[in-house]
Amino acid sequence: MDFLYSYIVLAAIYVLLGLSTNLLVGIAGIFSVSQAAVFGVGAYLVAHFMMAADPLSFLPSLAIAAACCIALNILVTLPSLRVSGDYFVVTSFGIQLLATAVFTNWAQGTGGANGLPGIPPPDVFGLPIETTAQYMLLCAATSALGCLCFFLIMRAPFGRLLRAIREDETAVAAAGKNVLRAKVSAAALAGAFAGTAGGLYATFLSFIDPSSFDLDASILLLTMVVVGGARTLAGSIIGPFLLLALPQVLTLVEIPTTIAAAARQLIYGVLLIVFMLFRPQGLAGERL
Amino acid sequence: MTAYLQVTRLDHRFGGLHALQDCSFTIAQGRVTCLVGPNGAGKTTIFNVITGFLQPDEGSVAFRDRALDRLRPQAIVRAGIARTFQNLRLFTDLTALDNVMIGIAGQFGEEPVGAIFRPLHTARAQMRRRREALATLDHVGLADRANEVVRNLSYGEQKLLTVARVLATGAELLLLDEPASGLSAGALDAVMALLRRLQDEGKTLLVVEHNTRVVQQIADEVLFLHQGHLMAQGTPERIISDPALAEIYFGGAL
Amino acid sequence: MLALQLLVTGLVTGCALGVVAISFSLVYATTRIFHVAHAGIYTLGGYLAWSLTTWRVPLLLAFAVPVAVCAVLGALLQSQLYARLARRRATHLVVLIASLGTLAVIQNIIAAVYTPNILQFPLDWSSRMVAFGPVRLNWTQLLTIVVSLAAYAGTMWFAHRTILGKRIRAVASNPMLADITRLQPQSVYIYVIAIASALVCLPGILVPLDLGLQPYNGVTPLLTATIAMIAGGVGSITGAFVLSVAIAVLQNLSLLVMPGEWSIGVTFFIFVIFMLFRPTGLFAAAR
Repeated sequence: MDFLYSYIVLAAIYVLLGLSTNLLVGIAGIFSVSQAAVFGVGAYLVAHFMMAADPLSFLPSLAIAAACCIALNILVTLPSLRVSGDYFVVTSFGIQLLATAVFTNWAQGTGGANGLPGIPPPDVFGLPIETTAQYMLLCAATSALGCLCFFLIMRAPFGRLLRAIREDETAVAAAGKNVLRAKVSAAALAGAFAGTAGGLYATFLSFIDPSSFDLDASILLLTMVVVGGARTLAGSIIGPFLLLALPQVLTLVEIPTTIAAAARQLIYGVLLIVFMLFRPQGLAGERL
Repeated sequence: MTAYLQVTRLDHRFGGLHALQDCSFTIAQGRVTCLVGPNGAGKTTIFNVITGFLQPDEGSVAFRDRALDRLRPQAIVRAGIARTFQNLRLFTDLTALDNVMIGIAGQFGEEPVGAIFRPLHTARAQMRRRREALATLDHVGLADRANEVVRNLSYGEQKLLTVARVLATGAELLLLDEPASGLSAGALDAVMALLRRLQDEGKTLLVVEHNTRVVQQIADEVLFLHQGHLMAQGTPERIISDPALAEIYFGGAL
Repeated sequence: MLALQLLVTGLVTGCALGVVAISFSLVYATTRIFHVAHAGIYTLGGYLAWSLTTWRVPLLLAFAVPVAVCAVLGALLQSQLYARLARRRATHLVVLIASLGTLAVIQNIIAAVYTPNILQFPLDWSSRMVAFGPVRLNWTQLLTIVVSLAAYAGTMWFAHRTILGKRIRAVASNPMLADITRLQPQSVYIYVIAIASALVCLPGILVPLDLGLQPYNGVTPLLTATIAMIAGGVGSITGAFVLSVAIAVLQNLSLLVMPGEWSIGVTFFIFVIFMLFRPTGLFAAAR
């Protein structure tokens, strides 16, 4: 049972990340391979505050981390508003590689390549979260809250504005709307989601290392959105649940453990190509 | 009559091309002014300058005695000037109604905080805005197509929709880029009737148009542009009957 | 003295990087595809050469066969993937994601076949040192300089003196016009990506000859090369090459003041500076 619970915990965390990536890539049309970096910053920050000499409890740590990730994501996204789309691809790759370099090499802050063990379990208003079942409730609730936010903004004028921006920024400006502000808002929201996901992830595993937040992780997030479907709530939920089941399926096939990671990433790559060629709208989304 | 829109000594180069040369003119409130001239005369460039999509090398634009220099496009729309595009630039994946609603200014829930924390208020405000947008669609004769995705509308309907979108912004000065081009006879009549209605309602129109019959029917005033410079200004009859201008217009085109 | 050695090593790295940059620039300026999978082709070339070398194939052949294979693979990518996407009027984002997927596929096939561990070429001459006064270089580094400069000169000659090169430049300057004037952009694109893939294979073999092979090592050079291309001005072969050398030298000299792990930060910093002050690049007009 614990096995199923932890699958749901991880899937719920990745639903938040899927929403975050969907907001940026699917809705605002900002190509990003650096969402895992923001996710990582959230995770390391929560770990840092909860393990400090004078530790904070879980919720304040999470709030600070989310706020930092909002600021970070805005900062990261700002270049996309100045420079043309392709140059932002460079920025995004650069930020991801830079973040990995920081996570790996800044040993006193992040524990370096060896990672950061012993992150304490969270508590919610004094109620300690210890069993996997409790974790599942916490993550499912948070993720449901995220989905609700996504649902509300997508049916509000803000959602319509974002869809219009995806189609034609010039026309949006000609209709009297501020494209820049809308994109920054989307990026901020995406940052909040990614930061929160990071905090949940760090406390659930109680151990984090740079490999969870590298370029491959960003590609996984992109694959989740592409497979699930861009711009819809259903797509952001289906993608993570399907792709996180994949490693379990792979354990049923006889693959040497040495190449299991490569095989997994290989499948993600194939999925990206196949979906772009034959089903750019994903399983339950709209055309990218 | 005071100058409603004043364009003063605009000058702009694209690399080697001198798109606007010392171009000045004024437009009076409540009138329909047509901007004519051969291809490449700088008509669309003028639109781009007035609406803030292009910063001219020299010169300035003032609307109701307020300088518009260096304002962003969205600020110029708020100041009361909105435009259409020759290639329409509608949001083709959205419905006709949504296209109009994008134009409506100051909606609640247009940023995430309001949308998330006051969902009911957002929904109620949307209901009101939807009625406004429907009224605007009705005004251009597209009420029955409101929930159709734009891709499925005919070209004539799409042209009408571009006008509905600028109307929704509440702007008083409308810049229309070739509203009548490429239309069938029936659709052309609909557009012409709409333009006349707009004038009756007190809107000021600046229209780029090639069709001389259309110009004759709708224009109070014609501005003739050639090589980025204002060659002549006057009533449609005077401009169209001027043999020198006809030579430039048709000689250049053929 | 250390500074001088670092400067010269930087020049060597920069030459290799320059070839990556001009090959990427060829693709990008012509097709406007942000061809991320190029990093995979770069990596694949090195691994193929490694296999052939370990099988004791004659050296010249061991280096020439990967170049040919990569050219074919590039052509296939264009005709089977990018051209299909173009026919379906895929958006830029879709093409980019497909390219990223291709990169993931190539890298992970390599990782599955060769393991993710570092591999060294079984050649004894490659690391033998030659001293030039106070500066010491090995044979691989010397070879890198010669081959890279030859590749640069060859590309310049090709682009300006051959009919195909002129066609490519014509398509690059205006694909829409080329489409109606029967220059057939899509068929030109196949040649462009094939040539670029063959070109990128050269540094793809030479750099690992010195530093060893790893499956995920292609992304950083490609990113750096892309930054050089943008800073040099998109479409300028000379700009891409010169800026690559400049960035590599700066990176190497930065080792005097900070540890090597942060060199990606230095590169990125240069990019941000360019984006802020000269987003069109240094050689933008010199097409």
